[in-house]
Amino acid sequence: MLNNHYVQRFVKGWRIFIKNPVGKAGIGILTVFMIMALASFCLPLFGPMYDPMTGIDPNIKISTPPSLTHWLGTDNVGRDIFAQLLEGAKVAFIVGLSSAFFSIVLGTVIGMVSGYAGGWVDAILMRTADIIMVMPSLVILLILASLFGQFNIWLIVFIIAIMRWPAVSRVIRSQTLSLKTRPFIEASRVAGASSVRIIFRHIMPNVLPLAFLYMTFRVTAAILVEAALSFLGFGDPSQVSWGMMLQWVWKSGHMFQAPYWLIPPGISISLLTLAFYMLGRAMDEVLDPRLRKEGQS
Amino acid sequence: MRLQYILAKFIEIAVIFFVILTMLFFLFRLSPGDPISKVVDPMLTPEDMAHMISQMGLDKPLWEQYVIYLKNFVTGNFGVSFHYGEPVSRIIGERLGWTILLFTTATFLAALAGVWLGKVAAWNKGKRMDNVMSISALVCYTLFIPWFALLLLWIMGFKVGLFPLGGVLSPELWVGDSSTLVKLLDLIHHMVLPLLTLFIINLGSYLLLMRSSMLSVLKEDYIITARAKGLSEKVIRDKHAAKNAALPVITSVGLSLAFSINGGALTEQIFTWPGIGRELIFAVSNNDYPLAQACFLLIALVVLVANLIVDLLYAWLDPRITY
Repeated sequence: MLNNHYVQRFVKGWRIFIKNPVGKAGIGILTVFMIMALASFCLPLFGPMYDPMTGIDPNIKISTPPSLTHWLGTDNVGRDIFAQLLEGAKVAFIVGLSSAFFSIVLGTVIGMVSGYAGGWVDAILMRTADIIMVMPSLVILLILASLFGQFNIWLIVFIIAIMRWPAVSRVIRSQTLSLKTRPFIEASRVAGASSVRIIFRHIMPNVLPLAFLYMTFRVTAAILVEAALSFLGFGDPSQVSWGMMLQWVWKSGHMFQAPYWLIPPGISISLLTLAFYMLGRAMDEVLDPRLRKEGQS
Repeated sequence: MRLQYILAKFIEIAVIFFVILTMLFFLFRLSPGDPISKVVDPMLTPEDMAHMISQMGLDKPLWEQYVIYLKNFVTGNFGVSFHYGEPVSRIIGERLGWTILLFTTATFLAALAGVWLGKVAAWNKGKRMDNVMSISALVCYTLFIPWFALLLLWIMGFKVGLFPLGGVLSPELWVGDSSTLVKLLDLIHHMVLPLLTLFIINLGSYLLLMRSSMLSVLKEDYIITARAKGLSEKVIRDKHAAKNAALPVITSVGLSLAFSINGGALTEQIFTWPGIGRELIFAVSNNDYPLAQACFLLIALVVLVANLIVDLLYAWLDPRITY
């Protein structure tokens, strides 16, 4: 019964979603990048020359324009740019999705606790959220880099998640505040359920769909911040991300000589973040009927 | 009542800044490696080093160090930069002006243009003009800033050769005795590309915000009243709707500040604009911790003060806020 209900809701939501041209375009772009990210796993099949990090074409010592063996050309040490682009897609998905997921988990838990507990717990948590919200995340990452040295990719993901939970927790908190006064919460409290149980068993299932709506916007932010950090030269040196590729173009002084190297990573970052953003907007319309009517009239 | 509100906001900002200062102190203590080698230049003579260490209180117990740290901050003593060999406060004082010049100009222009374009887009909702504008705004908003800046630099600076590739001034103009006007024009010439980059990044979010704010205002009853009174469409749009719709955009200036400061640092870095963001990046890549710390604290302070200004401005424009 319950499952059926969720399936029906999903199908209905999907129908609205797919009618929306913005959502359709977002899904389209996303699919292309998804295929690219999956294709990066097949790179070893083409021989060590196409390894994005260590593969060097033995015949090439300088950056060359696109050719049949290297579809997007090579960088200044003879590595294949197309292979790097595929690898970058994988890294962008990993960074974006995992850091968005962590920030959603953090934001949901903090928002629920804050809304349910109220009082000074609420005051402290929401003040903290305010402080974090106004702070520029790239600047924070930079000062942390100067204190703790080079980051690895998971540390970057984690710090971005910590910088990005406040917006989620605000929304979840207000949702929790309205749920708190509903009869079924009172009933379970009377029945002797602990606060932890009420929060995780009764409130969480009701706020979770909302939390995941916010995930798409977090993905956008995470990808952009990681790319910026790598571009500035403070990314994980063992990962080929799009930001890292731009850093290589820039640092090797090829930005005015090699448009075939400069343009693909930048377009990819911009398009992928745009796609996630469009997805979020279209999902907004599924969950908020007022927006939907506005779009149709 | 009004004074109380302002005072409360001031105290709030002061407390937040104090928390940030304290957190930075403890993070510094937690970070790996020898704290002394991080803030005292190892190239100094032993006597100078001993002097620096006692000035920063690094030979004292932790709580005393913390008090000295706070005192040094209040008196503007941030130590000496490893790279420049000069007091950090002098360096960042020079850089701050450049950042504020670039940043406020860009934010102001983008807000003006965004509000105006957002108004037009909302007024023509559903038409082709609105669609084109909304989609372009979305693209501006998700554009990867450094890449866009590099592209601008490559096309406008390198290929077409219209604008200089970086810096703020042409040295030959400043060594010789040129008139103030020539110097000013030279500055503007250098400013065009970084300004354009920051402008485009900020424009998108202002446009989208103004559009949605205007759309909700247009549904209000007083707009119907204005129509019923027989006012012209132009008066309704500009006098009745747009004025009220622009209010939320002002609050968003504060909220989107964090986003545009990230962009500002990247823009400064690419156009070699000698601002505070570029200095921070430079300090981090050269392991110049005293300089990096001061840049960070200054940026945090600027963010908080800007938020304060936005709050007060909003309260002044919308008296309902100061209850």
